[in-house]
Amino acid sequence: MAHQSGHGHGHASVATGHRKLADWIDVRVLRQDGPGQASYWERHRIPYEPEMNVISVLQRMAAQAKTVDGRAVAPVAWECNCLEEVCGACTMVINGRVRQSCSALVDRLLRENPGEIELQPMGKFPVVRDLVVDRGRLFRALERMKAWIPVDGYFDMGQGLRQSQSAQEEMYPLSECMSCGCCLEACPQYTKIELARAEGETDEAWQARVREAYDLGFAGAHAISQVMLFNAHPTGRNNASERLDALTDPGGIQDCGNAQNCVAVCPKRIPLTTSIGRAGRAATLHSFRSFFDR
Amino acid sequence: METNRPFLVRHEFLLRRLHSLSGLVPVGAYMVIHLLANASIWNGPATYQSAVHQIHSLGRALIVVEWVFIFLPILFHGLYGLVIIRESQPNSGAYPLVGNIRYTLQRATGMIALLFIVWHVFHMHGWFHGEAWRELIDPWGAQFAPYNAASTAAEAVQQSTLVTLLYAVGITACVFHLANGVWTIGITWGVWTTPGAQRRANYVAGAIGLGVLAVGLAAWAGFAFGVRTSDPEAMDAIRAIERRLLQEKIDSGLITEEQASEKSAHFGAPTDR
Repeated sequence: MAHQSGHGHGHASVATGHRKLADWIDVRVLRQDGPGQASYWERHRIPYEPEMNVISVLQRMAAQAKTVDGRAVAPVAWECNCLEEVCGACTMVINGRVRQSCSALVDRLLRENPGEIELQPMGKFPVVRDLVVDRGRLFRALERMKAWIPVDGYFDMGQGLRQSQSAQEEMYPLSECMSCGCCLEACPQYTKIELARAEGETDEAWQARVREAYDLGFAGAHAISQVMLFNAHPTGRNNASERLDALTDPGGIQDCGNAQNCVAVCPKRIPLTTSIGRAGRAATLHSFRSFFDR
Repeated sequence: METNRPFLVRHEFLLRRLHSLSGLVPVGAYMVIHLLANASIWNGPATYQSAVHQIHSLGRALIVVEWVFIFLPILFHGLYGLVIIRESQPNSGAYPLVGNIRYTLQRATGMIALLFIVWHVFHMHGWFHGEAWRELIDPWGAQFAPYNAASTAAEAVQQSTLVTLLYAVGITACVFHLANGVWTIGITWGVWTTPGAQRRANYVAGAIGLGVLAVGLAAWAGFAFGVRTSDPEAMDAIRAIERRLLQEKIDSGLITEEQASEKSAHFGAPTDR
């Protein structure tokens, strides 16, 4: 890959129109050796190449595995998968703002903040190692909200109901959610839940304790939006009441504080606050119904 | 495991919705009426005193009305508000977006409002009845005498520059909290859901806020500057009006001498200081 720097030199960068923004890039990275351990800052320096993304920066850093003062260290750990902003795995806090490292372009970052890039793991999830976090709570929230359509069974259920074009156009943006966690990271109501496993605790007991803690915490914008998606679906609507029960359980829609950061940071531009408003309305009607019609 | 959950957790949805509702009715509605009644000082001490007489014409029922519609809802809204704040982690420094700054301000003004209201009730009303207690807390609390409404309220607000400023800050915080609360209530209950509707609701909430702020600051200015407490002749004239209005009530049998003494300034009925 190193020869690419020679190749890249000479033609203008697509992102910025600049030939060369710097000779070196300093990367300040917040590291942590394992779950529950203390975090610490470390500075790495890599040669500048045009048109890098943060993933390619992390690849160079892992290859050299040494700090700016020449000390050999364990390579910085991170996660990535699709490299085209559809999987959410490489989400981290870059220059103080949560986003995907695959679509975070270095030339743009350097223009915002010359000479240095700052990388931190997401602050709302337990750190596994360095920039790798455990987003289990995010997926548990989808499970809580029954964010799926139960169609598996022994019978052929035939064709589903036909959907109107306008309903499809409203639902499609909600289906673009990649469970990256940006909305949760930026949400002031979503606070970190991190438990420590007790000595001699069985897998079952540990998992039950984590699940209960997660279930009492705020579900978050992504899960609320999925309730609106599946309750709008002609077949999913059959389980609407169950989803609304989950939506009004502890940690549900009522925990939203209307800061509206979720919609501002969502990389897929999902209308999360519209979903939240609609979820509020659905919860109002649902709670009236379940109180007066019981 | 679900049955072991504490009360506040089990009933979170209901409590949050009651918190949201109580902010508008009765707490917010009461605040608007309270500020409007106080702004009547601009029509003269007689108008203001009549308004206070009207409120106190409820007699023994007043304390029930106060507790059911004012004190308990404010205590619930304020204390449950602290529970909500305890679960939040404001980040308007890292994400300085308008909605997020309003989120942080809503919590800051909520805490200011709670402290302000607790102090305000002490400063004017004194929290508890009883002559010995009132003498003990003088001049810090129980400064308001309902049957000398304009004169004692103005003297209380003008007690010191700090007190005058505290009232201005307190009223502004309460009004912001109400106006921004009107906007969030609409989202919480699902009245305005789309960005367009929420933008239009913003204008409405902003207009309500500016209107109530104008009334509130008018009431504040009326007592802070409108009544000239440094002018003994002007104050004597106000006290004369208050005495006359009280005497009318006594003569018509609506107020007993005993009640008059209890709710007049300086524990002597009707005062002729």
